[in-house]
Amino acid sequence: MPLYEVGIILQSSLEEPEREAFIAELRQLLAAQHATIVNEDVWGKRTLAYEIDHQREGYYLFWRYEGPGTAPAPFETKLRLSDQVIRFLHLNLDRETKRARKMEKVRAAEKIAKQQARERKALAAAAPVEEA
Amino acid sequence: MAGKKKFYVKRKKVCKFTVEHIEYIDYKDVDLLKQYVPVSGKILPRRVSGTNPVYQRKLTRAIKRARIMALLPYLGD
Repeated sequence: MPLYEVGIILQSSLEEPEREAFIAELRQLLAAQHATIVNEDVWGKRTLAYEIDHQREGYYLFWRYEGPGTAPAPFETKLRLSDQVIRFLHLNLDRETKRARKMEKVRAAEKIAKQQARERKALAAAAPVEEA
Repeated sequence: MAGKKKFYVKRKKVCKFTVEHIEYIDYKDVDLLKQYVPVSGKILPRRVSGTNPVYQRKLTRAIKRARIMALLPYLGD
């Protein structure tokens, strides 16, 4: 199951219980789609870099969740239709970090190869001395 | 024109992402992205920052995403 990341900006004017209720609603929706939230990153209130709908502040919220490919679509629909959401951004992290994972593997293999070469060299250097 | 010739030491430009092995540039990492966005709000070109082409493309995407999420401005001061 792919890993998704969603960033949501909620209206800062929302009252705490109202906001919590909405977030709980989103959680329920994800659970209904058989997705599990892996990581939650709540930034809280933050000034926006520019005004959106005459608002200068937003409540930032980032979730990472694992779920089937069918999970993001209804979730996005919900976000798009909700008035509480100023803006959101949905990413497929598996796709985003594909190269990073590949490069990590390549680098690890290179490291092992280098070390083996060094060991071989050391052995070759040590061998003639023993013979003499 | 008479006068002293100006000398300056040319500093070698390095790609931070290549050196530090930053493969995935996160749009939430605003402090990192801000190094590549001057006050004008524009994205610094490769010829100025010395970023590797591969990472410049990733950086551009990350900055544009940060703009969408109102973490960085579209227009500076």
